Amino acid sequence: MHKIWTLFKREYRAAVRTKSFIISLLLVPIMMGGGFVAMVIMDKNKDTDDKKFVVIDHSGLMIDPMKKALEKRNNEEIFNSKTGEKIDAPYVVEFMDPDIQDPETQRLALSNRVESQELYAFIEIGPDILHPAGENKQAYLKYYSQHSFNDQARYWFQNVVNNSVQKIRAAELNLDETQAKDLLWYINVEGMGLVTVDKKTGEQVDAEKTNELQTFLVPYALLIMMFMLVMMSAIPQLSSVMEEKNEKIAEVLLGTITPFQFMMGKVMGGIGVSLTIAAIYIGAGVFTLNYIGMNSLIPVDVLPWFFIYTILFVLMVGSGMAALGATCNDNKDAQSLTFPAMLPTIIPMFLIAPVIADPTGPMATTLALIPPFTPTIMVMRMASTVTIPMWQPFAGLLGVIIFTLFSVWIGARIFRTAILIQGQKPNLATLYKYAFKG
Amino acid sequence: MNIIELSGITKTFGSVKAVNNLSLEVPSGSIYGFIGPNGSGKTTTIRMIMKIMYPDSGKLLVNGRETNLERLNDVGYLPEDRGLYKKMKIGELLQFHGELNDGTDLPNRINYWLERLELKAYKEKKVETLSKGMRQKLQFIATILHQPKLIILDEPFTGLDPVNADMMKDIILELQQQGATIIFSTHDMAMAERMCDYIFMIYKGKKVLDGTLENIQDQYGNDTLRIQSDLGAEALKDLKGIENVNNFGKLQEIRLEEGVDPQKILVELLKKTRISKFELTKPSLNDIFIRIAAPERKEVTHA
Repeated sequence: MHKIWTLFKREYRAAVRTKSFIISLLLVPIMMGGGFVAMVIMDKNKDTDDKKFVVIDHSGLMIDPMKKALEKRNNEEIFNSKTGEKIDAPYVVEFMDPDIQDPETQRLALSNRVESQELYAFIEIGPDILHPAGENKQAYLKYYSQHSFNDQARYWFQNVVNNSVQKIRAAELNLDETQAKDLLWYINVEGMGLVTVDKKTGEQVDAEKTNELQTFLVPYALLIMMFMLVMMSAIPQLSSVMEEKNEKIAEVLLGTITPFQFMMGKVMGGIGVSLTIAAIYIGAGVFTLNYIGMNSLIPVDVLPWFFIYTILFVLMVGSGMAALGATCNDNKDAQSLTFPAMLPTIIPMFLIAPVIADPTGPMATTLALIPPFTPTIMVMRMASTVTIPMWQPFAGLLGVIIFTLFSVWIGARIFRTAILIQGQKPNLATLYKYAFKG
Repeated sequence: MNIIELSGITKTFGSVKAVNNLSLEVPSGSIYGFIGPNGSGKTTTIRMIMKIMYPDSGKLLVNGRETNLERLNDVGYLPEDRGLYKKMKIGELLQFHGELNDGTDLPNRINYWLERLELKAYKEKKVETLSKGMRQKLQFIATILHQPKLIILDEPFTGLDPVNADMMKDIILELQQQGATIIFSTHDMAMAERMCDYIFMIYKGKKVLDGTLENIQDQYGNDTLRIQSDLGAEALKDLKGIENVNNFGKLQEIRLEEGVDPQKILVELLKKTRISKFELTKPSLNDIFIRIAAPERKEVTHA
């Protein structure tokens, strides 16, 4: 055991002392959370210059309400209520009469003005927006711009037009403001957890409102973290072992340690690295969530499972990678083997949405009990707001332990045979031969 | 007592028998030289002794034990292909190898050997900064650091300059005096002749020589003449009864055909030139090696 420990220490130090480890430790979360950070930064640094629009109102009903809404927005809403600082762009709207004879030419001319950045966008309001029901009604609201897909201005005009027509419709029906509100009131469904009984006190605990953020963010974060840990600690075993084989270090060490000890020392080093990274990230995550008052997002019950499953996952993938590394002669061999070997790690990434949408559904449950996918899928399900049957994490764990032992056994056999063989191309036939015939 | 016993060992790679029914006994405390042409099975034999490879058949005992599932800490192994972690510092690397072999008093021993092999100044440097010869010395230290009882060195002198080769030779002899058994493979026949208590030669996977140098030479009898003459190799031209000439320039070593009287050769030579040395002797290990490994050649070797 002490030989595995000695090798573990070397592997661990060799991995964590490198500059690339420190850089990836910092870079990976930056890359993963980069989009979010960029959005926040962009949101805080909005363009506050005037945005010019042209509105062609075929209905003739929207000019006054829109002018009022614009006045309110440009005088009040775009300023920080506390500091008075301008935080958003004023909208400047030019109302244009529709060209009935040649609407296409009018649209082209306006489009050219948008393209030359004289205008930000132009809006066309259909003639029948007040009473859209019925045949051949033209109740459209069209927003023409270079980036109409995700544009805040588009939603502002949509809200103004809809609110205005609703008010006009209520007035036509002689409804007062309260009646109009009642008529248009839309009730959202509220997501709730389940009512439970506190095991210690025996008291009933009310159901908690489902946190939309928790529903998605926590399982997603844990999955990404497990993926990162495997990528940073288990996957590099392939190239590391290949290098030791090609540099003839393996033969030197195999005079002192058995192939199994060699492989286990390396894989344990990988586990050490992954636990270090996990401790740093989770520590930082817990600290941050506490700091911003969102500690309810910390999945305290799931974290022990996360660590257990991560250790087994790194052991499972790491031993496979070490074995494959022993069969490789050069980088070309390594490249051809890396992708298929990474599939158990990659596939769950494509299953985030369906698993989170229905964590207790047949697909999520079945996948969670297939060992190569168990660590990621099971942890994702456990971190969701849904309670999964308690036997499932244990059954999954048993499956993963058995599969990991099998993986280590097969890996060690392949490793033992292949580590000193030069020039043999790794393929399924040679892997089978190494694993079962020696 | 034998520290290594091989009995009927065979190892096959595909259709090639790398080692064929090999039996060998290495007495404790001896220096045993493994010689043989490239690809003859030396390294395979050593790897099997080290349990890096397992024989297909036969029995192999190291220190009286047969198990393949453990490594013996009192064995030091310097493989033919040197392999060191390039990014590690020299001191750390030796500590790692020492710990891996259960070595004791490692800091002092590391300092001692680094000093002895003139590498002390590099202790905090990375392995990648060392020259090839220095790396070889470093790997040698890693092999002997834990004071093994059995030291197996696969071509330890390759790549070393004469000064360092001599230094390593002295250390090997010193380790033997301290009780270690040394096995080393080499292509340097002179070194093997000078250092080894026993010599084993393997050729095409089979044992062809095994014993002390005297025993081996006795098998070939006094069929070698060492001659120095004014005419040098020219004097030997058209001389009958000579099987092979090994020309060293100032000295020629000739192998006589079976049954040829050396006196007749001397008489013939005196007719041609003035003789300053005429010695009837046993064949050198180098000559025996060539006789076995290249029996079909009647070459004149320029040493």
